[in-house]
Amino acid sequence: MKEVMNTTNVNAIIKCWVELYSDQLYTWAFCKTSNKETAEDLVQETFLAAVHSFQTFENKSEPKTWLFSIMKNKIADHYRKSFRMSENKTVSFNQLFNSNEDWIAEQRPQQWHSDNEEHLLDNSDFKRTLTHCLEKLPVNWKTFIVLKYLEEKDSKLICQELEITATNYWQILHRAKLQLRKCLELNWFKK
Amino acid sequence: MKYIIDYLMLSCKKAALLIDKKAGIKLTMRENIQLSIHTSMCNACTIYIKQSLLIDKAMRNHLHAISQEIQTIIENKELKEQIISKL
Repeated sequence: MKEVMNTTNVNAIIKCWVELYSDQLYTWAFCKTSNKETAEDLVQETFLAAVHSFQTFENKSEPKTWLFSIMKNKIADHYRKSFRMSENKTVSFNQLFNSNEDWIAEQRPQQWHSDNEEHLLDNSDFKRTLTHCLEKLPVNWKTFIVLKYLEEKDSKLICQELEITATNYWQILHRAKLQLRKCLELNWFKK
Repeated sequence: MKYIIDYLMLSCKKAALLIDKKAGIKLTMRENIQLSIHTSMCNACTIYIKQSLLIDKAMRNHLHAISQEIQTIIENKELKEQIISKL
């Protein structure tokens, strides 16, 4: 027998879920977006969506699983939106390559003098420099970097999720890396 | 002859893009040949390969380390109250 839920009941259940799961959802959202306000908005939207589509929750899955699946969609939407808000504070190709498409003399890659690579990756000053350089990337480029390196997502999947072409994807990833490279060089390797 | 050279030659700008692409997907045979010819002659792009790989490794390490750090659940009481008040 299917129980008929009235609004008060639904609200009481969702309220209980807020108590139980909102911290976990928030932590996860924060981890994916590294922004407090964005993460809070996402959690809130998730619960509001849960109220609206409570009918589709059929007790088949765990509430936590269901809430996380709603949140995943919200995060994908967020990535798409932040990707559309393009910014132009970026290194352009003209600053790196001349009209013959050769490296401009002072931009030519030169050997970085670092002692031990493993050592370097554990160095907390270097980590701080990395954080700084990541922060300086435009939001939409950072999305790429997180999807690629943290979630280890396949390029095809990322293209689908962000609704872009493969050519576009490689161009952006390449430019993000060129910019990271330049930032690391200025702030670490040539300091 | 000129056609063959044009077919196999790459500019540094294109080579650098292929270098980053190569870390993620399989290049076509033509691209692979183009890239190895280019890097055999171009010191700057050879160095770029090493640096690009180092950046990959550093980013992967760094982002995973950060997400490990915030594995512990962050409590956010205000958020809880705010949501409950809106239900």
